[in-house]
Amino acid sequence: MNMRIDKQTGEWLEREKKISFTFEGEQFTGFEGDTITSALWASGEKVLGRSFKYHRARGVLSLANHDINVMLTDGEDTNIRGDVVAVKDGMSLMVINTMGGVKKDNLRFIEKLLSPFLVVGFYYKAFFRPRFMFPFWENIIRHGAGLGKVNFNYPRIPKPKLNAHYDVLVVGAGPAGLAAALAASLDRQLKILLVDENKNAGGSLGYDRAGSNELQVQLEELLEEINKAENITLRTNAYAAAYYADHLIPIVEEAGITKVRTKTLIVATGAFEQPPVFRNNDLPGVMNGSAAQRMIYRYGIKPFDNGVVFTANNYGYRVALDLIQAGTVVKAVVDLRKDNVSNSLSTELLNKGVNIYVGCCVYEAIETADNMSVKGVVICPFDEDNNKTEPEKSFTVECDGVAMSAGWASAAALLYQSGMKVKYDNAIEQFIPESLPKGIFSAGKVNGIYDLEQRIADGARAASEAMRYMGRDDMPEIPVQAHRTESPSHQYPIVPHPKGRNFVDFDEDIQAKDFINAAKEGFDNIELMKRYTTVGMGPSQGKHSNMNAIRILANIRSLPVEKIGSTTSRPFFHPTPIGHLGGRSFHPKRQSSIQQWHKDSGAVFVDVGAWSRPAYYAKAGEDQVNLIQQEAMAVHHGVGIIDGSSLGKIEVCGPDAAQFLELFFTDRFTDQKVGETRYALSIDESAVISDDGIVSRISAKLFYITVGTSNAAMVYREMQRWLQIWQLDVGLINVTGSYGIINIVGPKSPEVMLGLTTQLKAVSNLDTGRVCEIKISGVLVRVMRVTFVAEIGYEVHVPANNMLTIWNQIIEIGSAYSIRPFGTDTQRLLRLEMGHHLPGYDTDGLTTPFELGCDSALAMDKSFFIGQRSLQILAKKCLSKRLVPFMLADGFSGQMPEDCNLVIEGSEIKGRVTSISFSRKVNRVIGFAYVDPNKVEAGSEFKIKTDNGSMVKATVVKTPFFKSNKEL
Amino acid sequence: MSSVSKSTPVAYFQEKLNPTWGEMNGMQVAISFDTADIEEVRKQKLGVTDVSCLDRFGVKGPQAAKWLALQNIHIPDVPNTWVLDNNILVLRLGSTEFLIEDQFSSNTCNQLNKAFKTNKVGVYKVLRADAAFVVSGREIRTMLSELCKLDFSEKSLTPNQVMMTQLADISVIVVPEIINGKLIIRLWCDGTYGAYMWRVLHQLAQELGGGAVGFSSYFGDE
Repeated sequence: MNMRIDKQTGEWLEREKKISFTFEGEQFTGFEGDTITSALWASGEKVLGRSFKYHRARGVLSLANHDINVMLTDGEDTNIRGDVVAVKDGMSLMVINTMGGVKKDNLRFIEKLLSPFLVVGFYYKAFFRPRFMFPFWENIIRHGAGLGKVNFNYPRIPKPKLNAHYDVLVVGAGPAGLAAALAASLDRQLKILLVDENKNAGGSLGYDRAGSNELQVQLEELLEEINKAENITLRTNAYAAAYYADHLIPIVEEAGITKVRTKTLIVATGAFEQPPVFRNNDLPGVMNGSAAQRMIYRYGIKPFDNGVVFTANNYGYRVALDLIQAGTVVKAVVDLRKDNVSNSLSTELLNKGVNIYVGCCVYEAIETADNMSVKGVVICPFDEDNNKTEPEKSFTVECDGVAMSAGWASAAALLYQSGMKVKYDNAIEQFIPESLPKGIFSAGKVNGIYDLEQRIADGARAASEAMRYMGRDDMPEIPVQAHRTESPSHQYPIVPHPKGRNFVDFDEDIQAKDFINAAKEGFDNIELMKRYTTVGMGPSQGKHSNMNAIRILANIRSLPVEKIGSTTSRPFFHPTPIGHLGGRSFHPKRQSSIQQWHKDSGAVFVDVGAWSRPAYYAKAGEDQVNLIQQEAMAVHHGVGIIDGSSLGKIEVCGPDAAQFLELFFTDRFTDQKVGETRYALSIDESAVISDDGIVSRISAKLFYITVGTSNAAMVYREMQRWLQIWQLDVGLINVTGSYGIINIVGPKSPEVMLGLTTQLKAVSNLDTGRVCEIKISGVLVRVMRVTFVAEIGYEVHVPANNMLTIWNQIIEIGSAYSIRPFGTDTQRLLRLEMGHHLPGYDTDGLTTPFELGCDSALAMDKSFFIGQRSLQILAKKCLSKRLVPFMLADGFSGQMPEDCNLVIEGSEIKGRVTSISFSRKVNRVIGFAYVDPNKVEAGSEFKIKTDNGSMVKATVVKTPFFKSNKEL
Repeated sequence: MSSVSKSTPVAYFQEKLNPTWGEMNGMQVAISFDTADIEEVRKQKLGVTDVSCLDRFGVKGPQAAKWLALQNIHIPDVPNTWVLDNNILVLRLGSTEFLIEDQFSSNTCNQLNKAFKTNKVGVYKVLRADAAFVVSGREIRTMLSELCKLDFSEKSLTPNQVMMTQLADISVIVVPEIINGKLIIRLWCDGTYGAYMWRVLHQLAQELGGGAVGFSSYFGDE
């Protein structure tokens, strides 16, 4: 059946370009510019989807991006909205959420067989008893939940998130929005962005014609002016998805998101047409009046052959005239109202021979035998004051479609999110803005202005106010008349029916009776009712159901609508693909200046904080565990080299530098001598360990501090904060990126060091705990003698740009001693062998210095340091755990304990393993663990519960875990 | 001992583009990535050039401005602005911190390094190891709109403005300049983020029809 009609003025089709596609395996054609729905409807296809719960046949409702029962998959993408997504040549489309196809969906029997059990809120009352059955139900629910099937092979297509700045952002390019943009554009200095979610601008001006094309001329004139205005950017197919503070509005398009920051925002988003509620109001062929109009004028389609218009406002009469213009035989106009219905439109319709039934309702739509279409409607008198029908006086009109026009609800999501205060206007039965935040303005139907001339005036008024807000005091006040004639919305367009199936929410198949039952069960607050019934929680987010739900609840509670209020509007206003939200991935990674050397040398990289560091260096035929042991043994027996550039480095300079460090760290620094290094522990105000490091005194007024890789930024930030508080004469310089660090460690490291410089005395005299500055090939470097990963070691701090040259020099000199590079995995093993704990590994967000056993780093007799007071309190309390070094039995071969395995005594958890590894040097499994404070003495034993449940005995030992070379 | 040669922080990703290497101020630098004609086209569309090799000197502290004045350095009066004097670019970062960069053929930073023997009260040397870039071309605002939240339209920029902001999620210093109606930016970031920043800039430049441009494309004629 071909429903396509002659070319319409202003239609969106390019009829010379034909499109071929398949739907549910059948071949269809359409035109360039068609949506999937319009192409199918033009071909006579009416069943376009199935409802979520009962799997009822569904067709067109809004044709405005809210037909959530018509969602499809093309095999790659899912949840494609048929009503707005353009059909493309070669598409192969299937309806989602069916079993056996959209026409023969086997799940349609749910309605007949199971619906008595699927009452409102049934999922709150079922499934949890008996308990053992829950996994069974869970499996079924998980399979039934959600729409569409996620394609895990979906290609990664970068969707950029751009930033843009405007003086005026106008959302909605209907008459009010167009007028607002044009009025603002008269100030040529202003940069204006006008966005509309539709393919073309114009809004209702393009389709609400009441059978005449006069308004199309007006629209074309407006659009021509918009095109001429050089300071207006018009973007269509773009929706404003949310409002965030400071007028940040994400604009979503197919290509990505633009985060628009605007000085002023004008919201001219119009209103959503609301369907009346009557039995079978969801059948394919029953649609909103505005949907029928869009179908006619945008896509050149006759919505149905024989139609009935069910209206509760004058808009329905305009729809009837448009239907007649499209060739539909309008069998009847059924008006719910008993008053205010005589007007020029009704006269015109009567003159065209249309029957108008005033004070009547469509009692029900009669479905065809296959339940997939309309074959007629039952009409009966309706008492709108008492919401009573008189079915005994009913009669039937045969038709294949129904256009519904019962009223409107503001499309005010952005305004709600911005913090607008609303009021309910009884004259128009609509929530409208009472007051708006600064810089935000609204215009048109969202304000309750319905007359076309006044909507245009309202747009100009909003622009004028926006310009005044931006300092243009000369802008005039533009008067706008409030809506004066009959209400565009009915106060209660709900037709009761004893057999139900009068749907309020099409997303979730919620009927009028469900609200009554929910209220009876005590869920009589709009927020509670929303969650209990799930109204407004489907993909359309209540755009066609919330207002009716509010009216029903108000009726149940005998309260005015404004006392019920509305639910909270949250970003995003419209479902937005995750790919859009994610945007292009930016994952900043810091790299040492010799990263290429590491890569060329086979480094396997690992992320450490913001850094990418070598974990170890791969060699063909060797596994990771073996390589780490080999690298460690090279350090023990010869010399190893590691790039430690990622450590945080901070210079503290000035007359008060030492005093600052005394206050910031737990130990003393005022008595630290130039050329000396000291361990530094930092704790927060609650005495939790935050980091540790080494403080080197370079000169009387210059301290050079190294801190942990992951905590460097935090430590520097904290230093800056405390400096502001203490107001000392100190300069802080974060030189983390300016210096590279080369660690040369192992018994042969002194020979390598001596080969690097002519300042042999300075190096030879450098004892553990000392720092000096020397020159290597003319570059001034800082050298520290350290024992973190080996008994003998040097840290050479080199200006980052010179790092590669000096590193290569060390490798060259070290080659005589078989120098071997090692990575962070090996470094962790080496420091464990040395018995050094590592903040972040051996501590957590609650660890105190007492638990770590580093009391010697606490100068409690100082007058103040950060966290001192908390330590004083903690010192009076009993410890609950202590960190100890331990070994497993010689030759241990059972289930290997892992980091975080629990230390168990009896049935009590006493602690956990923080670090554990086999050490080839020690030839034992060694580690750190938190244990009962009574078991810290060497020789004490405790048990670790491994991943497979076995208990492994461990013995507390002293560190270092191996005998010092000096002792051998 | 061989003389020390410095390496650009960006080298890690530039290597993959097989540039022609040269040396500037003791640092290895990508002189060109392609023919001059191709690089000129890229520059017009969207060119990214590594200029990390230019010498820099950093100083901060309450007396830093006074000390620089004593060294005859012309400093900006207003925080977050720059001056270019005698081929020396001086950026005032906030009120008490300065970044000085020698442009081609200037040697001031070396002289300042020599003059600054040790820290003085209220004057502290900041060792710089920046990755530095020049980005230019018609598509520059498109690129910036994805990388940065700030407004780079001509209307919103003030003369000699220094922006300290985030670009591609890392902290940067940006100097935007309108030359003959075209926006060109200078960009500095921590050298350890240099390779990352190069990768981001280069990837976007390529997507927008531009690409890598060698150092000689900007400084070859000098």
